[in-house]
Amino acid sequence: MIRFLLFSVKRAAQGFWRNIVMSLAATATMVLMLLLLAGLLIVVTGLNAGLDYFESKVEVTAFVRDGASAERITEVMDRARAMPEVADVTFVSKDEAVARFRAYNEARGQTDLTDVLPWNPLPASIEVDLADPLVYAQVAKALEDERDVVEEVIENQSVVNALLTVTNTMRLAGTVVLGLVALTVFFIVINTIRLAVVARAREIEIMRLVGASDAFIRWPFVFEGVFVGLLGALVTLALLALAYQPLSQVMFALFQVLPLRFGEFVVRDVTLVVMGAGIALGGLGSYVSVRSYLGR
Amino acid sequence: MTVTTSSSAPSATTEGSTAAPITPIVALHDVTKVYPTGRAALSEVNLFIPEGDFVFLVGPSGAGKSTLIKLLIRDELPTSGQVIVAGQDVARLRGRDVPRLRRKIGTVFQDFKLLPNKSVAENVAFALEVTGTPGRVIRPAVERVLSIVGLTAQAKQLPAQLSGGELQRTAIARALVHEPKVIIADEPTGNLDPLISWEIIQLLLRINELGTTVLMATHNADVVTALRKRVVALDDGHVVRDEIGGAYHREYW
Repeated sequence: MIRFLLFSVKRAAQGFWRNIVMSLAATATMVLMLLLLAGLLIVVTGLNAGLDYFESKVEVTAFVRDGASAERITEVMDRARAMPEVADVTFVSKDEAVARFRAYNEARGQTDLTDVLPWNPLPASIEVDLADPLVYAQVAKALEDERDVVEEVIENQSVVNALLTVTNTMRLAGTVVLGLVALTVFFIVINTIRLAVVARAREIEIMRLVGASDAFIRWPFVFEGVFVGLLGALVTLALLALAYQPLSQVMFALFQVLPLRFGEFVVRDVTLVVMGAGIALGGLGSYVSVRSYLGR
Repeated sequence: MTVTTSSSAPSATTEGSTAAPITPIVALHDVTKVYPTGRAALSEVNLFIPEGDFVFLVGPSGAGKSTLIKLLIRDELPTSGQVIVAGQDVARLRGRDVPRLRRKIGTVFQDFKLLPNKSVAENVAFALEVTGTPGRVIRPAVERVLSIVGLTAQAKQLPAQLSGGELQRTAIARALVHEPKVIIADEPTGNLDPLISWEIIQLLLRINELGTTVLMATHNADVVTALRKRVVALDDGHVVRDEIGGAYHREYW
């Protein structure tokens, strides 16, 4: 078994060096395809992070009746907090509401008219931040049912629906494009490796004639394919690392509003995907290419 | 290497079908081969080659010589009938036993089938390496067969530096290195001039004298006529003649 492994690895290395032009062509194709895959993965991850951010902005606002008791308000807020997919519940008092309104008008350069009124016309409100906008209707309904505290829930369902339609479509589009590109990468890489194997059909033929078992024919090629994949993945990651600094600045400029640590996830995911795809495609490509010469 | 033969328990077919005292190394019983295209390459061929024989297989192009050889090395399976090589029914072999069968057959072809980036010794050693033979066994085995074919001095040369005769002797050395029961040579002199052809024939005769059965397909009438060995003639998929010491008739060109 150890001799078999040594033989296979040795033959794989020999195969790589003695067909260096073909090997480098396959590696170059592998690098280009993995760069394409990694680049798209980064863009789609960024897109999804952006969509998550917009969705996290969805909140349910309920106006509180003037004169509702503090205990009941706390009770309603606790109940809302206990619901699934609710991120945070905050209370905005009448004074805070006016302050916000004033700040808002000031920012827009409009005259503040609230001073003219002898009383504060703005209601206090309960604001519920949602982790997932899908529960919007459910939370809104629950708040509406607390009639003694809640005067009215702002009807935002149509806006939420529109947002969800847009974000879901974009997510789907991102996934579909990523899937199509992954499929393209898969076939191009498999085909390139097939060409490299076909160029050595004679070697395989001789091995079969002298009585080599299928395993002795197959595994050196599979190891060679894995080697090409590994080399391609390492070159790809090196190129990405070189591009990381300028790229991350662009990403930061684009997505600086994002609250999450976007960068770290991408580095880990891209490394895993590039290494995994390279090795798997190299090995699989060789495996299926050699298979057509075996079993006879 | 020869230890592997213990795995091939004598099957009922070799004992039962031929009552002859000599065991055939190759036996074809009513073998018919029809290709998927509908072309019948062999029709009800019967052929027995006892161990130690030297047999010429002659016939015009398309007579079925190559098909017969493909059946023997199990590159093709018979449509009907039985092909037995070294005591084994090739059609009944499991996939993983096919390589074992091929190690008992040494094959030599018109186009040599050598790897251009390997030296003479490496080409011969390759046959053992790819069957998992340990290195300490490989070296003496390669030296032995190279001395049999007379290529000890050229061991380190690449195929591009060799003459046609030397290339074919390398291929024969490779065929011999597994110590096969039978050497199957498909037009081994097809690419060689008459003098070199004779060299190759002499070498195959010597190997036969050392105890290996030889089956040689050829167009070379001079050789066949001069040697007075057993001649099996194929025409249009039928065995039309099978005689010892037969001459190569003009009609089989």
